[in-house]
Amino acid sequence: MRELRVLLNQTQKVRLQAALQHLRDLSFQASSPAIPVTIADTIPVNREDGILKGHGTLEFNGQVVATQCGVVEQVNKLVYVRALKARYKPEVGDIIIGRVNEIAPKRWRIEINFSQDAVLMLQSMNLPDGIQRRRTAVDELNMRSIFEENDVVCAEVRGFQHDGSLHLQARSQKYGKLERGQLLTVPAYLVKRRKQHFHHLEQYGVDLILGCNGFIWVGEHVVLGENEMPEDQESRMENQEQNFTPLKVRQQICRIANSVRLLSAHGFSLSLEIILDTAEASVSSNVEINDMLGAEFYVQTAEREVQRRASLLKKSRR
Amino acid sequence: MATAPTSTYSPSNSWERARQQQKKSLFRKEDWVRSDGRNFHQCRPAFLRTGATNAASGSAYAEFGSTKVIVSVFGPRESKKAMMYSDTGRLNCHVSYTTFSAPIRGQGTDNKEYSSMLHKALESAIILETFPKTTVDIFALVLESGGGDLPVIISCASLALADAGIMMYDLVSAVSLSCFGTNLVIDPTTEEEACRDGSFMISYMPSRNEITQFTLTGEWSTAKINEALELCLDACSKLAEIMRSCLKDNVLS
Amino acid sequence: MVGLSAGEKHFICGGIAQDLRSDGRQRLQFRPISVLIGVIPQANGSAQVRLGATDVIVSVKAELGKPTLLQPDKGKVAIYVDCSPTAGPAFEGRGSEELSTELSVGLQRCLLGDKSGAVQPTPVPNGIFLAYECATEFRAGIDLSSLIVVEGKVCWDLYVDGLVISSDGNLLDALAAAVKVAHLLRMFICCTDIDGLAALSNTGIPKVSVSLGPSPEDQPEVDVSDEEFLQFDTSGIPVVVTLTKVGRHYIVDATAEEESQMSSAVSLSVNRNGHICGLTKRGGAGLDPSVVLDMISVAKHVAKNLTSVLDSEIAAAEAAEDDES
Repeated sequence: MRELRVLLNQTQKVRLQAALQHLRDLSFQASSPAIPVTIADTIPVNREDGILKGHGTLEFNGQVVATQCGVVEQVNKLVYVRALKARYKPEVGDIIIGRVNEIAPKRWRIEINFSQDAVLMLQSMNLPDGIQRRRTAVDELNMRSIFEENDVVCAEVRGFQHDGSLHLQARSQKYGKLERGQLLTVPAYLVKRRKQHFHHLEQYGVDLILGCNGFIWVGEHVVLGENEMPEDQESRMENQEQNFTPLKVRQQICRIANSVRLLSAHGFSLSLEIILDTAEASVSSNVEINDMLGAEFYVQTAEREVQRRASLLKKSRR
Repeated sequence: MATAPTSTYSPSNSWERARQQQKKSLFRKEDWVRSDGRNFHQCRPAFLRTGATNAASGSAYAEFGSTKVIVSVFGPRESKKAMMYSDTGRLNCHVSYTTFSAPIRGQGTDNKEYSSMLHKALESAIILETFPKTTVDIFALVLESGGGDLPVIISCASLALADAGIMMYDLVSAVSLSCFGTNLVIDPTTEEEACRDGSFMISYMPSRNEITQFTLTGEWSTAKINEALELCLDACSKLAEIMRSCLKDNVLS
Repeated sequence: MVGLSAGEKHFICGGIAQDLRSDGRQRLQFRPISVLIGVIPQANGSAQVRLGATDVIVSVKAELGKPTLLQPDKGKVAIYVDCSPTAGPAFEGRGSEELSTELSVGLQRCLLGDKSGAVQPTPVPNGIFLAYECATEFRAGIDLSSLIVVEGKVCWDLYVDGLVISSDGNLLDALAAAVKVAHLLRMFICCTDIDGLAALSNTGIPKVSVSLGPSPEDQPEVDVSDEEFLQFDTSGIPVVVTLTKVGRHYIVDATAEEESQMSSAVSLSVNRNGHICGLTKRGGAGLDPSVVLDMISVAKHVAKNLTSVLDSEIAAAEAAEDDES
């Protein structure tokens, strides 16, 4: 995570403080105030109902204590601590983005911000020709033509194997290699699980993929199914100059990417709406793409978030 | 040092030595006042902050008087292939000093002794079973050494671990103490450490009431040890509270 | 170090060609730079410089030493850089050796003038980095003769120690900027005075009075004053601008990702007068002579801006210090 370091002048500091305080107040007003805990804090639980100790908790001297810093969450009987900065914890069905670390026999090892590399088996992968068939030895030899080392790959969490390793699958056209764009990494907790993680921003011609593991892809829009076969290396090199992402699209990509950087520096959770809001706000107030990371827009973003949450709160009260 | 000792010398060497002697006897007196105006049982003000470096999974910066330490935690990451399989996590600790950490410019060094002490102090606080087959790297860097380096490193490292979201039984806070004759002086500075008769350091998990690491040098009577232990445990608990509030501020913002 | 896929590399190169880099910067635009002074009170001068996610500390320590035989009328300056493992696990143990050496040598080449003395690679215990003790001359920066106390007997040795805390490209420029600030600002300086206590002062090197013994073999007696300080003009220390060539174009202040795409990079140090004070090239690819000349004129222009940015940062940091005291 590349944290932003913003230099604020005195008035900006005051404004930011005010905005943050406001946000804190708002979160207290929300329906259930989150209980922040640090390591070894006792978690208040109602013993009579009987509870299940979840992640980040431990029984000690007859009390439930936290083993990591975060916020206490309770789902029915299950009490757990949602950590703010910990590594990504995969759940089955999560859409994630990762980087290929290593090519092993019949599998790729992929770094996904989890404590171990995830495994994508050749057989849980749609072949480029789209035909369902047994994978042959030839396929195995051609693995590098599908994904190489360091490639950015989008996939879905398939589940844990009995040996504790994490398996992925990519059985659809929408999964696969991501090119022509940039990968951003944010703390995993900022990306909430939603129905939709793939976003095609038509007005910009940009694809935005919010990986549950905190890897975020912002790139040129790719038309599904139009999988042009990779040309041979030489002709590609020649075409390289013409082949660049058009400047218009690149500007949009950078604008969206900087929105994501900015929001993650603030620690606001990332959703399509808020990212677009931020990008549009920067356009409407004539902020240059690079200046989005500057002090003034940083403070403005915090203030905008206050307004947004306040109006959300009003709506929910009605 | 790169230059030969003859080409660099510090002025009035013998004079300084005499001074040192004088100080030593001064420290034994009952009514001696510490150079920074603290009383014997008062720790230096602690400034703690998480998120000191940005490439790490967790990091912390600690400033206790003039002692300044940065700790980065990386991982948990998959252990290197060469390592044997293990169903618990591994801890890799590394303490180093910058070239400018001491008043006299020295060589940036790795401190093997502190590295292993740090490992022992933290090992029992971390729930290693939660990250099998993987390794957590802890890198501590002493920017400025102003006495009580090891306890500051330990406390700072446990804060960095918490920042990285590593599961722990409790935060570890550590405090050292020096003995001058009959005087027990908590959280000594380099200057005081240089003249001490005995040293005492504990790292402690306050909520669990467990000592994770304990070292003692010099000659001590049992009564003195009891007194020192009590002092240090109390200081550790207070330090842990400061560490907690630092972490809590983080969660809130 | 940085692993990028072919697609991402292509994207970065394209951005540089189109003058819109991944974070929205133009080719000749720096990341926001921030300066903290006096971070190491024990040093005679110190500064922390942050350039985006790159974070470095430089400390300058002055010690009394003996001038070399070849240059009895000059002091000595030694520059070392160390990369801390806190910046990344790759820097653990000997991992940072190569980079540290490269940065040390680069910084020496860019900040120190021509070497008019002998260069002796000094073996260092436990081999963290290779140190070069050089009797060098700040032709462009510090006048080395101002470091002399007694000709042939006593001089000041300046030890410039760089430390990389976080690394996201363009380390050399950040280090050089920190050296400049650390030198320039002797605002918050701590010098070990006679009582062995730390004394804060506003100036640089303590003033020294020397009484020479009757025979020339005698060690001169040195008395370091705790009140008077010697200040030398260091505003002439150059800034370093690294131009990283990616594809047909070159950029300033490359991030680690952009640096991984470089064909070659030229670091130029430029002083206040717009004179080039040193140049060093990295990377494997060759450069057209005309490109080099072009780079020099671009670097001059960029350096001018960088110098003024640094000056205002220094002024701001100075003002902040004043407020606190």
